[in-house]
Amino acid sequence: MIIATGLQKRFGDVVAVEDVTFTAEDGKITGLLGPNGAGKTSAMRMLYGLVAPDNGTAIIDGHDVRKDPQSVRRVIGVLPDAPGIYPRLTARENIRYFGRLHGMSGPRLEGRINDLIDLLDMGAVADRRTAGFSQGERMKVAIARAIVHDPRNVMLDEPTNGLDVMSTRAMRHLINRLREEGRCVLFSSHVMQEVSALCDRIVVIAAGRVVAQGTPDELRAQAGTDSLEDAFVSIVGAEGLV
Amino acid sequence: MLNQMMAILQKELRDGIRDRRSLMSALLFPLLGPILCAVLLNTVANSSARSKPLELSVVGAENAPSLVAFLFTNGVEIQAPPPDPETAVRDGKLDVVLIIPEDYGERFRSGQSARVELVVDNSRSSARHNISRSKKMLQAWSSQLATLRLLARGVSPELLQPVKIDEVDLSTPQKLAASLLDMITMFVILAAFFCNMYLAIDATAGERERRSLEPLLINPVDRDVIVLGKWGATVIFGAAGVMMTLVFTTITMGFVPLEDIGVRISLGPPVIGAILLVTMPLTFLAGAMQLLVASFARSFKEAQTYISLILFLPMLPGIALTMSPVKTEDWMMMVPMLSQQLLVSDMMRGDPTGVLRHALAIISTMVISGFFLWWTARLFRKETIVFGR
Repeated sequence: MIIATGLQKRFGDVVAVEDVTFTAEDGKITGLLGPNGAGKTSAMRMLYGLVAPDNGTAIIDGHDVRKDPQSVRRVIGVLPDAPGIYPRLTARENIRYFGRLHGMSGPRLEGRINDLIDLLDMGAVADRRTAGFSQGERMKVAIARAIVHDPRNVMLDEPTNGLDVMSTRAMRHLINRLREEGRCVLFSSHVMQEVSALCDRIVVIAAGRVVAQGTPDELRAQAGTDSLEDAFVSIVGAEGLV
Repeated sequence: MLNQMMAILQKELRDGIRDRRSLMSALLFPLLGPILCAVLLNTVANSSARSKPLELSVVGAENAPSLVAFLFTNGVEIQAPPPDPETAVRDGKLDVVLIIPEDYGERFRSGQSARVELVVDNSRSSARHNISRSKKMLQAWSSQLATLRLLARGVSPELLQPVKIDEVDLSTPQKLAASLLDMITMFVILAAFFCNMYLAIDATAGERERRSLEPLLINPVDRDVIVLGKWGATVIFGAAGVMMTLVFTTITMGFVPLEDIGVRISLGPPVIGAILLVTMPLTFLAGAMQLLVASFARSFKEAQTYISLILFLPMLPGIALTMSPVKTEDWMMMVPMLSQQLLVSDMMRGDPTGVLRHALAIISTMVISGFFLWWTARLFRKETIVFGR
């Protein structure tokens, strides 16, 4: 479970995140929805402890990101904004590297890697170097290594960015599966359709603030519109979309 | 924690070995230095081979037995004349041919200038050395005769030589060869820096550029452990480079006729072992320094630029010592790179070095490496490490 309270971050004079408060529950998919530059990535980075918040904090499964970031990192799996993988390592080696960094080894690690390769349907390329991989194949490697340690909480920053239809579908299946396994899934996107198709709860962010949150139905009701897209536009406001 | 460090170290090594650029620089550089030095030393050996006895073909040796005897006692090897002296010289088969005409004895006895001919081709620079030696030899004979004739007439021969020139030649091949030893040492030291350069860049600026640094840092690994693991990989690459350079040096020196130059290089297993002990801390320093510099850089290219600039540092002592040798002092052992340069050169020469100097060199280099590592780890703990500065 992820509980963010009053997250704030400035880079120099630029306010990246003004005030972000929300809760993402286990067994649910929570979507961070917002236009480009709204502060989704910065908010995520504070949640996984890459940058420290200026104000506010986040508690993940009882661990405070400010006081104990290492414990937080043990219970989360993260697909960051730009998940670079190692081109000279094979897919399997890429995944194994992160498994070992999480203290896994031996048959337990190898078994888990095999499960993930089956789950993501990447057996054909698993032992090839990733240098020539397609965007979709690279994304599969990145997501597999992010969840190799079987984390209770999974954060995905724009996971379908740049993916074709087939890869996007595969990613949706995976996200649904992670929920069925009872994990807390938090993912960010600026694509309306994706969020509405997947999410149990939506947190709308604009200009560094949470401007609305709730189930898709609640958001529609709140904005008094029939479609979620209209609700989004009315909530964020015209200037938020610039 | 140790397991995590080993995971990082092994991954960086595997990545480095699979990177053609890293591998080539690690493999080719240790070959380049020894080969270059061997070629240079061979050139020196060849030039000193020119001071071998002068071989002179003489036509009409029977016309001037006393001259031939003089040449012979002065170490000239008299050779049978070719059928056609001029063609032989023109074709470059011979450098010089001396022709003694039949009237030599007659003119000699009557006190006239007795003529001899020296057939040469002055346009061939390789022949000039032997030409001038032949001329000098004949002039020596001539002035010896003149001296004897003046003495016989009761005149001081010094009247004929108001000015006497003594040439003091300092360009001994030994000196040149000794400075080449400093060059070999420089290559050994440079190997510690060069062979791990790409690995150090790839593990820091490269990791940031391909955007794999952020995912790496999200793992529950202390930043110190990450830095130590990456550093360990660079040390292994550098140490392998130093070892290969030493091995190749030992091999190539087998092809150099060192005894011709009068140089002795001690490169037995005990010396190699001692050299490795002295240069190991240098690989610590090289790895730490390059990781630090590459962590500052925003991109791979930028890191490459900075590091090729600092590659001059390990070369400086070698170049300076080749130009003007200094006497080794204890304080110099506190200066990394200079200390190794001096110690390794002294060891190859077979000069005594002393435990204190070794200890000083090793400790000072390790302390500075530790400082660089601490600084790199500090950079890695900053938020900005992901974005670069």
